[in-house]
Amino acid sequence: MAMGGITEMAVSLAHYLTVSAILLVLGVFGIFLNRKNVIVILMSVELILLAVNLNMVAFSSALGDLTGQVFTMFILTVAAAEAAIGLAIVVIYFRNRGTIEVEDISTLKG
Amino acid sequence: MTQPLLADYFPILVFLGIAGGIAIAMVGGAYLAARQKPYAEKLSTYECGFAPFEDTRHRFDVRFYLVAILFIIFDLEVAFLFPWAIALGDIGWLGFGSMMGFLFVLTVGFVYEWRKGALDWE
Amino acid sequence: MNWILALPELVLALSGLAILGIGVLPKRNTHFACAMAAVGAFLLAAALAIGAPEGSAFGGQIVSDAFTRFAKVLILIGAAAGVVLSLDYNAREGLDRFEYPVLLVFATLGMLVMVSANDLMSLYIGLELLSLSLYVVAAFNRDDERSAEAGLKYFVLGALASGLLLYGSSLTYGFTGTTNFDRIADALSDPSKASSGLVVGMVFVIVGLAFKVSAVPFHMWTPDVYEGAPTPVTAFFAAAPKVAAIGLFARVLGGPFGDLAGQWQQVIVLISLLSMVLGAFAAIGQSNIKRLMAYSSIGHVGYALVGLAAASEAGMRGLLVYMAIYLLMNLGAFAVLVAMRRQGRAVERVEDLAGLARTDLSMAVWMAIFMFSMAGIPPLAGFFGKMFVFKAAIDAGLWTLAIVGVLSSVVSAFYYLRIVKVMFFDEPAGALDPRPASVSFVMAASGVFTTLFFLYPAPLVAAAQAAVAALLG
Repeated sequence: MAMGGITEMAVSLAHYLTVSAILLVLGVFGIFLNRKNVIVILMSVELILLAVNLNMVAFSSALGDLTGQVFTMFILTVAAAEAAIGLAIVVIYFRNRGTIEVEDISTLKG
Repeated sequence: MTQPLLADYFPILVFLGIAGGIAIAMVGGAYLAARQKPYAEKLSTYECGFAPFEDTRHRFDVRFYLVAILFIIFDLEVAFLFPWAIALGDIGWLGFGSMMGFLFVLTVGFVYEWRKGALDWE
Repeated sequence: MNWILALPELVLALSGLAILGIGVLPKRNTHFACAMAAVGAFLLAAALAIGAPEGSAFGGQIVSDAFTRFAKVLILIGAAAGVVLSLDYNAREGLDRFEYPVLLVFATLGMLVMVSANDLMSLYIGLELLSLSLYVVAAFNRDDERSAEAGLKYFVLGALASGLLLYGSSLTYGFTGTTNFDRIADALSDPSKASSGLVVGMVFVIVGLAFKVSAVPFHMWTPDVYEGAPTPVTAFFAAAPKVAAIGLFARVLGGPFGDLAGQWQQVIVLISLLSMVLGAFAAIGQSNIKRLMAYSSIGHVGYALVGLAAASEAGMRGLLVYMAIYLLMNLGAFAVLVAMRRQGRAVERVEDLAGLARTDLSMAVWMAIFMFSMAGIPPLAGFFGKMFVFKAAIDAGLWTLAIVGVLSSVVSAFYYLRIVKVMFFDEPAGALDPRPASVSFVMAASGVFTTLFFLYPAPLVAAAQAAVAALLG
């Protein structure tokens, strides 16, 4: 098994998909279970996009088709714009409230 | 026992070894060869842009933040420029024009942030 | 390369950049000029969209057909009305910065790209252009705590939704080998070959889109964002982006995933059911009228999705007619909300409308018409929208959906009629400030449509019919 296992060690599509699914779940849990800081939520969003990118590139390589990699470029760019806007909104929120604790973001409810 | 997968990574191991060796040689060499004359000012924590007489939990000036945000956006055009530059021979004038269009849009954004004073430190 | 097909989008993109340029260069306040330029750009783009030829362009990334024409005209009407409604309010609240119309132009550009997308990539770019602009306008009143909080909440949940949608897109790409809608449809023409990975991907796409249209159980951001954002922004949110997102929903499920109807139909039935019921019950206890309208919009999305759940031609047609009527009557109702200010301050409680009939009869009558229409009382426009979707549901054998829809309409009539009662029978709480002509114009135009739709419904229904024919191929 130890010797035969070497060829199986090659990273297959399923490995990539598994890692990416784990990253996605981590990201989603990071958003919903996080009780501390909005910045952690921003990082979780990036983690989700990372999972998607990994998926895209893995599929692209497995299919021998470049579309997935082009898509990844777009996702990267939009993710940066999204991060910039997210950080800007966090700044104006902080200016108003003086805190970015998730538990304090509850003026609006009902 | 041959491991084809790991054998491919051997050059990386070599690079790691060389990089580590150079780093150790530099730091170690400076430590052994240089004259050392410590005094209080020299030993104090160095923070870029701040006088180091405050707590480490110092709140950063929001202007750093602004610069970082602007950097993220303008940094990314490179992600498109590299593949474009390599494929320029194949994509012709349409490809060239598309990138010029893209850069034009970025320039409008740049003019906007300039006029808005986002690039002024004071 | 067929540039002509993207002419409305190109016009909006160039005018957005031009307005940004002319707005920032002079030293004085250019808000009004920029807003007018934006309205002009919307009208020009609408004219171009009506005359757009059919076909596909940019390597199959976007298409132009009867469906995109229908959706684009609605979106551009909603966007233009959104700018008009903001003029006076923004000036009074100190929000008269020229970035506002620029952001709305870019948001609208995103919506146009969304509805004409024929590829997962152009879909994503359009959706993100819309979402990123909307995050910013939600937080546009940056000195107001509630606006900032609305922007933050919208951003976090919107980003999550985009992430889930993208994850679904990646699985779809992986299991079909393409991102083009036509080729996805080809790959799925034999539904038995659809792998479970693909179905998971499709469900992720549906979840992402359900977030964007704020269907239950992915609605939790809507009430907070609607309440916290400045009122003209809320008016904009409730109008054009809803139509664009529902249109996208119809395009994605009717086009590439059309042959998997058996798989997605049950999901749509469930979220439609939940949206209708929550929209009806959660709005009852609300005292803030913007929050109430948020739940109302969740309910309306539920009714519209009944048409989608029917997965038939009649259902899709009902969906499009419903969204057109929803857009036009909602603009009128939000015009009333924008006009609600007393002694120079914006007010937004239901009680602030008390006795409106005695202080401003025409506004009270228009508002009553909008409320009756939303409740679905004949012969107003809202009734016909509901009739179309429920009839399609019954024809498709979805009796439960139709019955729950009618019952939740009855429940929701309670809170719509409460507003009418407050306006006509409660003691006046003091007169509202005189409303600006721009708001009155939107209110009257929307009111006339809502009241007189029953006389001549044929053009709208025919346009929706043509759109559906193009959508389902």
